[in-house]
Amino acid sequence: MDFTFNLGSFLAFIAAFSLAPLFMGVILKVKAFFGGKQGPPWLIKYYTLIKLLRKGSVYSTSTSFIFKLGPVVSFVTAFMLLLFFPFAGLPPVLSFHGDVVILFYLLGLGRFFTVLAALDTASPFEGMGAAREVFFSALAEATIFIILALFFRLSGSLSFVEYFSGDQVVNLWSQSAALILLVLIALFIVLLTENSRVPVDDPATHLELTMIHEVMILDHSGPDLALIEMGAFCKMLFYASFVSCLLYPFHIGYPVVNIVIFAVIMTMIYAAVGLVESITARYKMDMVPNFILTSFALVFFATILTMEFVQ
Amino acid sequence: MNTFFLALMLIGAGGLQTLVTFRLFLVMKIIAVSAIIGGCGLGAYTAVMHLLQHTNPVVFNQDWLQIFTFSLKIDAVSAFFLVPVFAIPAIAALYSFQYLHDAKRGAAVAANYFFYALLIISMALVVCAGNLVTFALAWELMSVSSFFLVIYDVHKKQTREAGYLYFIFTQAGALFIFAGFGFIYAHTGSFGFEALAAIPDSAKLTAFLLILIGCGSKAGIMPFHIWLPYAHPAAPSHVSAVMSGVMIKMGIYGIVRFYLLLAPTSVVFGQIVIGLGIISGILGVVYAIGMQDIKKMLAYSSVENIGIILLGLGVGMLGAASGNETMAAFGFAGGLLHIFNHSIFKSLLFMGAGSVLHQAKTGSSNELGGLMKKMPVTGRAMLIGSISISGLPPFNGFISEFLIYYGAIHGLSLHGASFVFSILAIISLAVIGALAGAAFTKLIGVVFLGEPRTDKASGANEAGAFMGIALSLLAASCLVIGVWPDYFVQAAFQATQAIPLVADFEAGQFMPIMTNIARTAALFLLLFIVIAVIRRMLYLGKEVTSSGTWGCGFTQPTVRMQYTGTSYADTIVDFFRPFIRVEKKYSGINKIFPGKTTYSSHIEDTSELGLTNFIVQPVLFLLGKLRWIQHGNIQLYIGYIVLAIIAMLIFI
Repeated sequence: MDFTFNLGSFLAFIAAFSLAPLFMGVILKVKAFFGGKQGPPWLIKYYTLIKLLRKGSVYSTSTSFIFKLGPVVSFVTAFMLLLFFPFAGLPPVLSFHGDVVILFYLLGLGRFFTVLAALDTASPFEGMGAAREVFFSALAEATIFIILALFFRLSGSLSFVEYFSGDQVVNLWSQSAALILLVLIALFIVLLTENSRVPVDDPATHLELTMIHEVMILDHSGPDLALIEMGAFCKMLFYASFVSCLLYPFHIGYPVVNIVIFAVIMTMIYAAVGLVESITARYKMDMVPNFILTSFALVFFATILTMEFVQ
Repeated sequence: MNTFFLALMLIGAGGLQTLVTFRLFLVMKIIAVSAIIGGCGLGAYTAVMHLLQHTNPVVFNQDWLQIFTFSLKIDAVSAFFLVPVFAIPAIAALYSFQYLHDAKRGAAVAANYFFYALLIISMALVVCAGNLVTFALAWELMSVSSFFLVIYDVHKKQTREAGYLYFIFTQAGALFIFAGFGFIYAHTGSFGFEALAAIPDSAKLTAFLLILIGCGSKAGIMPFHIWLPYAHPAAPSHVSAVMSGVMIKMGIYGIVRFYLLLAPTSVVFGQIVIGLGIISGILGVVYAIGMQDIKKMLAYSSVENIGIILLGLGVGMLGAASGNETMAAFGFAGGLLHIFNHSIFKSLLFMGAGSVLHQAKTGSSNELGGLMKKMPVTGRAMLIGSISISGLPPFNGFISEFLIYYGAIHGLSLHGASFVFSILAIISLAVIGALAGAAFTKLIGVVFLGEPRTDKASGANEAGAFMGIALSLLAASCLVIGVWPDYFVQAAFQATQAIPLVADFEAGQFMPIMTNIARTAALFLLLFIVIAVIRRMLYLGKEVTSSGTWGCGFTQPTVRMQYTGTSYADTIVDFFRPFIRVEKKYSGINKIFPGKTTYSSHIEDTSELGLTNFIVQPVLFLLGKLRWIQHGNIQLYIGYIVLAIIAMLIFI
């Protein structure tokens, strides 16, 4: 494993981790703007985390040790993603050829335990959320892995750092820009799906029957809930960074400039999520598979195109 | 070779002595189990040593019945298969010591151990067979002994029907294999394995397809898998563990062995195998999600894993045919390692399901629930098995799936159809993995978590200590292979040396990837412990209370309101509807004050329907017209035989 103790990359990792809740505030601000409201303070998510960490917990009598494992596993798996991601083109803390496969599988492990923790409560609502989560994520998995296949075809690599700073980089300014455009749309759909945003799932709805992710964590409270929330912020940050690294060539130019541009693009992506949430409604549940499969169709098309492009 | 025979003899003696000592129930069991474990241990040791020492193939020949040579040959591939053939039955035997507890059925238990020993010996002979005749003989011995193991509960109608179905499938499969052998013999004129590579290319494809169908029906490749969901629930759990964990892999061994012997050069072989792998993998897991009986669900999950193995082997074959060394080596190594891994976690899951069945007296997940508290050892072992089989790190299933991914991704540099097949293999592997997660969260979530749905579930207790030890051993192996995969991956690469293209493949240059994967898994475990400790600290001095589950405002929840396995599976199963048929019966609510409402659903296997409607029914109809030939007169039957012989003498 490439473990380069590089102060810069370590700081980037710390910064990314600690700023993940701040970016979530952008979504809320955008939604508030469209609602004609002032919205919560920018630091709202930090306040929420601190509040949760100070509290105790109430555990359902139905639950077993799995219920307590769920938050820990889902947090650790999302946290590990950040260790391997090259934020703003800076080298990541860890990386090796093949890391993308194990990282996406680790996310799968996190999901496995979140779903089990939901089923552990014996609540019909949480079971419902769990069933939807596993189904939709199975569809999104197909898109993710075909993106990995496409990126291998384009760059010959299987690692985040090689995608964005290797010999053959993949981004909107490289030779295969046309294909990346399709990938970007698909990846944004996956981002919305995996992070349970509108139009797949509505985190702000008031009715448990219509939720996916939020309903699965209904019974968690206190520090457990804080771990889940922080894990969700890390996951969102990871997907948003993935999209931004495709949008701009961070492997060239000055690191300081890159960091600023990265921050701007990230804010725009979070704002775009907020925008989607403000102007569209959640799809009916049986429409969601079509939405996710659209992303699959896009990247599959892009991959077929490479048969002519890259030869 | 001598230690190999000694191992077989020890196992055989353990099986044979039961026929004499069956009246002394406990003595018989102790001798049988210890002899089988001892013999298997010795056999596994021999196989591992053979793999580690890179020895040349060991050959044994014995002329037999004048014209047939009984020939054995142990090369790297055989040795790799021998490890699970010996290791898994040993652990299952340990489990069976408490599972077969009914002293009143002493004779049946004795017969079970006898055929169990015979099954191990025959499987060992199948993977070591050195010519067509030995292979066929060992294959038949394996089929017959496993048939007797399935019908242990012979007094149950369901078991007898399952046994017949299995017998028909296994013999029909053998028919295809023997047809393939006959076809090969017609070209080579010998029963030896050596001449196979020399037959013409067009003949190779036909021979391979015949053997693929024959071996495929044993391995449970869709659509030849119909016997699995019947035979596995009917058989005792340690037997289903061995059958699903090891015996169905003999089908895969047949495919691998004859592929190697035929040494084809066309890409078609790989494409066919990948195609079958995709069908078995995706549909297998979808059916697994739909099944409510634990053992039926595990049987379909075996179909799925056979699909993953075929994807690996197919990628390897495609790589070998296209001259892509990395793709070939990783595809074959991944497929072989998945065979080994699946034998571990599937036998673990079947034995865990057996413990549940033993305690709760029901295998229907909709009647179970909350067993994690009642059966902590079984529950935790099943949890580990479920994570492993879903291919998630840091357990062993991920390691083999990663190898297959790596092979398939290297296939992306190919052109045309081979490129498309590589892409399809990657997508299917991803979808299978995610859906397996759905299937096994269902298994753990519905059976072991939540509240008990019936009195059967709430009355269950932890199974015996030996059963617990067997489960813990297997669960520990899953973690060990996941965190220290190097030796196991090397062993898999060692076994691929038999493939001409990759004989000189330097697996060493790729080992750093495996080391990194292992380190990432270890890092995950480390971070997990750190965060778990931090979490514990955050709760220090805080108020932690317990209460009922939040019912979203509803204050009178009952256990019947829990999400059932059926409801959990419904959306996914619906999505795959043309390939999976769900029969729903719903009385509906049609009055202002509704009376009793009922809902039931049942999943039908479309392959089974197809087979019944398009093959069995027409054949039955046709043969029904010929009923008059069967009249029961012995003299006339002898007349038939004489006539047939005369006809043959005239025409041939």
